[in-house]
Amino acid sequence: MNDRNLLKGLWLALIALVFGLGSLNYPVGRLERAGPGFFPLLVSCILMLLAVSMIVRSRFTEKVPVVFNYKNLAVILASLAAFALVSRWVNMTLGIVVLVFVSSIAASTHSWKRNFAVAAVLLGIAFVFVKGLGLQLPLY
Amino acid sequence: MDILHNLAFGFEHALTYQNLMFCAIGCVVGTLVGLLPGLGPLATISLLLPLTFSIPTTGALIMLAGIYYGAQYGDSVSAITMKIPHASSIVACIDGYQMTLKGKTGLALFTAGVSSFIGGTVAIVVLAALAPALGEVALLFGPADYTALMLFGFVCVSFVTTGSLLDGLAMCMVGVLLGQIGTDINSGMQRYTMGLSILVDGVGLISVALGCFGIAEITKNLDNREERTPFSGKIHLIPTWPEFKRIIPSALRGSAVGSFLGILPGGGPVIAQFAAYAIDRKVSKYKDEIGHGAIEGVAGQAAADEAAARTSFIPLMSIGIPENAVMALMMGAFIIKGIQPGPNMIASHPDLFWGLVASMWIGNCFLLILNVPMVRYLLSIFKIPYAVLFPSILFFCCIGTYSVNSNLDDVFITASFGLAGYIFLRLSLDPAPLMLGFILGPMLEENFRRSLLLSRGSFDIFVKRPISGTLLGLIALFVIWQLWVFLRSTRRKGPEPKPRASAA
Repeated sequence: MNDRNLLKGLWLALIALVFGLGSLNYPVGRLERAGPGFFPLLVSCILMLLAVSMIVRSRFTEKVPVVFNYKNLAVILASLAAFALVSRWVNMTLGIVVLVFVSSIAASTHSWKRNFAVAAVLLGIAFVFVKGLGLQLPLY
Repeated sequence: MDILHNLAFGFEHALTYQNLMFCAIGCVVGTLVGLLPGLGPLATISLLLPLTFSIPTTGALIMLAGIYYGAQYGDSVSAITMKIPHASSIVACIDGYQMTLKGKTGLALFTAGVSSFIGGTVAIVVLAALAPALGEVALLFGPADYTALMLFGFVCVSFVTTGSLLDGLAMCMVGVLLGQIGTDINSGMQRYTMGLSILVDGVGLISVALGCFGIAEITKNLDNREERTPFSGKIHLIPTWPEFKRIIPSALRGSAVGSFLGILPGGGPVIAQFAAYAIDRKVSKYKDEIGHGAIEGVAGQAAADEAAARTSFIPLMSIGIPENAVMALMMGAFIIKGIQPGPNMIASHPDLFWGLVASMWIGNCFLLILNVPMVRYLLSIFKIPYAVLFPSILFFCCIGTYSVNSNLDDVFITASFGLAGYIFLRLSLDPAPLMLGFILGPMLEENFRRSLLLSRGSFDIFVKRPISGTLLGLIALFVIWQLWVFLRSTRRKGPEPKPRASAA
């Protein structure tokens, strides 16, 4: 089962299925006046066709195992979510600090001092963006 | 002498203090970010795109163009000094790194810089001469022709960037489907929004780009956990006269090849540098040395790289169809700035078009006088450990995503594309065609539906019109050829992994 070529086809087939089933909720219309559901249905069908031929092709090619590192992915996504939530509940200054600290879990070495230094520099950059480039960031 | 007149007009717009400054900032920042491993032009542009929102239109586009070719130069610097390949600098790793091993880093960097300058200059002449003319041809295109042209672009890009027609086309289709999210322009109906108000206007370009190219790349790099030792050798930049003379012919050949390949659909820097390198190996006076650190091996491909990067603007600005993923991103930037690239762009915004063309040449000069001598300082970016670098890149992703709509919900969208992008990368599906499909998706649907409306529901219109008929015929030939290659490889040698082009 751990075969990159097979998983590739299955993953794309899943995407095609989600969008294809979704498109059935919208009127398809007729060819001369296509409705909003027509084009997504057509493209999903093409994608499904491509995905199925990938699955077929994987039967003829050698298996390639997939490396999937859940930990790093989870840490990075969690740090983004934490940034968004903390920025909304408190302010973006704390959000940036949280982003640096949560994401650094994925680093190979850990250091509180380094994290504080990085956060401080990034806050400085954010401040320059607000004052210099006129970006609207809710820093405080 | 229209061209000279127009170029002079362009320089008038590009040579203001403000625009000069934007151009310089773009070049330097682009080079700096482009140096970093794993961050090629696509990631660099998407990271820095949000920062240009508050800058006036012409300045913003000049800066983005600067970021683009700056990033390309940065790529080749890291390829020459440390053999870190990016999509746009695989060839530079061969002879460039060999020269570094021989202690001729400075010469290689100088050669790359000067050749880029030559390539860029040639390409700008081509661009100035060809873009307006091609724009007039584009006015003949009907909706069916546009539909066929976009499909043709998908096929070419899929083949060139991923080496596998099937994988690339599938990624284009995923991109098209993602482009369907949001409000349908014809009926006003909301599609795939799942009742979320942030999705009513569709998924943001920045979210897709930062997710797939920024966050996914960072996560993948973290998995590899390689520590790079920064380059510490000496750099002597100034070459001797005989060395300098060897640069010119190769660079000119590379410029010609690059300018031509840059215009074709699916073309661009990646394929141009391979072609230029191959030609130099055939015809160069020093062809025996190529592969072992010859000046020609660096000069030809660097010139082609740069020339193709410039001329790939031609289809975007004259026809309105981007031919590769970087140009798709550029098109997104144009549209965010309220400018629709296409046949009417040159006529309605001449200051912008000619200003951009002129600024490209100025940017070339900046690369030469600013970046080439500063290389050794720029390289110190490698002294920053990755543990410091990746939180900073995440910070730029967050700030960039947020500042598009001043909405924190967009960060969640970016994060979900980071997840999807990581899965794509791990399954060795290249997200570059996805970007192209995403940008072209709404245009494709619009033109497809309009063609069917014109033909009253008959598919004849795609075959009967000469332009679209020819393009569709080419696509059919291509698909049949690919099927034949696949069948032959499985039948002859039995089950075996499909050979992948090294351009992937």
